[in-house]
Amino acid sequence: MSIPNRTFFYIIPLPLIIMSLFIGPSDVITSQDILAWMQNKIIQAPSLNQDKLEMVEAIVFNVRLPRVILAFLIGSALTVSGNSFQALFRNPLVSPDILGLSAGAAFGAALALVFHILPLQLTAFVFGLLAVGLSYFLALTRKGVSTVSLILAGIIVSGIFTALLTVVQFLTDPFKLQTIVHWTMGNLHNASWSKVKSSVLPILLGIIWLFIIRWRMNVIALGDEETRAVGLNPEQEKIMILLPATLIASASVAVAGVIGMVGLAFPHMVRMMTGPDNRKTQPVSIAFGGSFLLLVDDFCRTITSFEIPIGIFTTLIGGPFFVYLLKKSRMVFRES
Amino acid sequence: MGISVKDLSFSYGTTMVLHNIELNAAEGKFTVLLGKNGSGKSTLLKLMAGLLPCKTGDINIMGKDIRHLSISERAKVIGYLPQFHTAAFPFTVEEVVLTGRASYVFAVPGKKDMDITNEAINKVGISHLRQRPYTELSGGERQLVMIARVLAQEPQVILLDEPLSHLDLSNQIRFLALIKELIMSGLTVVAVLHDPNIAFMYADDFMLIKDGTIRILSGDERPWDASILTDLYGVHLETMPFRERALVIPG
Repeated sequence: MSIPNRTFFYIIPLPLIIMSLFIGPSDVITSQDILAWMQNKIIQAPSLNQDKLEMVEAIVFNVRLPRVILAFLIGSALTVSGNSFQALFRNPLVSPDILGLSAGAAFGAALALVFHILPLQLTAFVFGLLAVGLSYFLALTRKGVSTVSLILAGIIVSGIFTALLTVVQFLTDPFKLQTIVHWTMGNLHNASWSKVKSSVLPILLGIIWLFIIRWRMNVIALGDEETRAVGLNPEQEKIMILLPATLIASASVAVAGVIGMVGLAFPHMVRMMTGPDNRKTQPVSIAFGGSFLLLVDDFCRTITSFEIPIGIFTTLIGGPFFVYLLKKSRMVFRES
Repeated sequence: MGISVKDLSFSYGTTMVLHNIELNAAEGKFTVLLGKNGSGKSTLLKLMAGLLPCKTGDINIMGKDIRHLSISERAKVIGYLPQFHTAAFPFTVEEVVLTGRASYVFAVPGKKDMDITNEAINKVGISHLRQRPYTELSGGERQLVMIARVLAQEPQVILLDEPLSHLDLSNQIRFLALIKELIMSGLTVVAVLHDPNIAFMYADDFMLIKDGTIRILSGDERPWDASILTDLYGVHLETMPFRERALVIPG
């Protein structure tokens, strides 16, 4: 199979986003209606009656468009975050899920959903950061951090935060419980403009920052001493990667729950196409990550008569992929 | 100028590794540090490279106190070649060498950085490896890539920690010829070498380190004297005269 040119990934998002607006379970409105509505919006041609127009607007603009935007944003965020964590830890097998970040952010977000004391995005970020920090320090030995110990530490930290999340669920009332359960599955079906609004700023800021420092991640990926020798402070650089990578992943979890394995599998797919140079992987991660998650979401909402939560879908596919990487890496990457 | 070290001591925790080191490495010369494993050579080199904090004593590089240089200023003066290195990602040789430009680049390297990178790759003689993944290279080839990375840094002083250890004989000779070339172009090179024979054949000056102190030679002593070397390495060694200096052989 030939690998598509990079420009392909920069061109594909827009047509894909527009196409996705036409997809959905509603049979009340047709593609013609949507086209007519778009025409009306762009050139103000009165081509539909007022009732129809309002209905199309309600479905396409208030239901589908925020969902499409959210899917794209989260796909980009998780891919860029995963790619950045892999450079930061010099470890192609880490991701927001494996480091415990997703479970931590999910717990933080659930706290905010139940108790309404602190803002959702803030608690998700704080607990996401706490989880990554815990995983790292649990895995840290005098010889550094090995792949296997980091993965094991991540499992422990994930386990702890998942248990805490269950405690929150246990203590909460049935109505809120349902919201939390649906949301932790990793779900885009209740996407709304308010969710887009709450996540768009942290995600865009984090992605822009990680895009700007993309080349420095190449330097960091070579090692601490190697980084210091060429004139960058590795500790400082790592924080500059860690904070935005945590921010965008936890912002995603805060609005859509845990969409598992995206942060691990997507960066690998990107690297298979571009090679490891982050000057290429970072922009392609933004375009490809967003497009591909959007495509997966389009499948989720059309493939069956009911909606499959996207997080379940990605984890079912991504799980075996991780096992494959782990098997393969045993031959390529040595423990140090 | 060059490098001058005054009254430098260093300890890892409570273990003293270096005691009152006094050393001068002249500008435009090739100075070699000789000594046993664990004598403190690598630690001294790391201190001079600014990779370990200099707490007691003074290190001046090209007339500047190393403590007054920021990490990025230091990288423009000092190039340091670490011992063996591996990478987790299969970056190409060109991408690895390009990272030497880090202290000159804000976001993404430009054309000038690419030109300097290519020049460094050509100078080391690895242009045929340019697009190869670093992870697939042999230890010796990696060593050459890392020295190209140091050259891309455009330093005035180059510090090498056992640069020959993974090279075969032909690459060792090529590498030493390259060092000679760098010296000719005005650079100062300080290296830790295992093999005193190679040191005596190629280097200008010698620093003998034993148990964390510099072995100071009196007027009529030479670094290639059998008695000095026997004391330095702790095994019986003999020498035979060779090109004004000597060859070392086990006694």
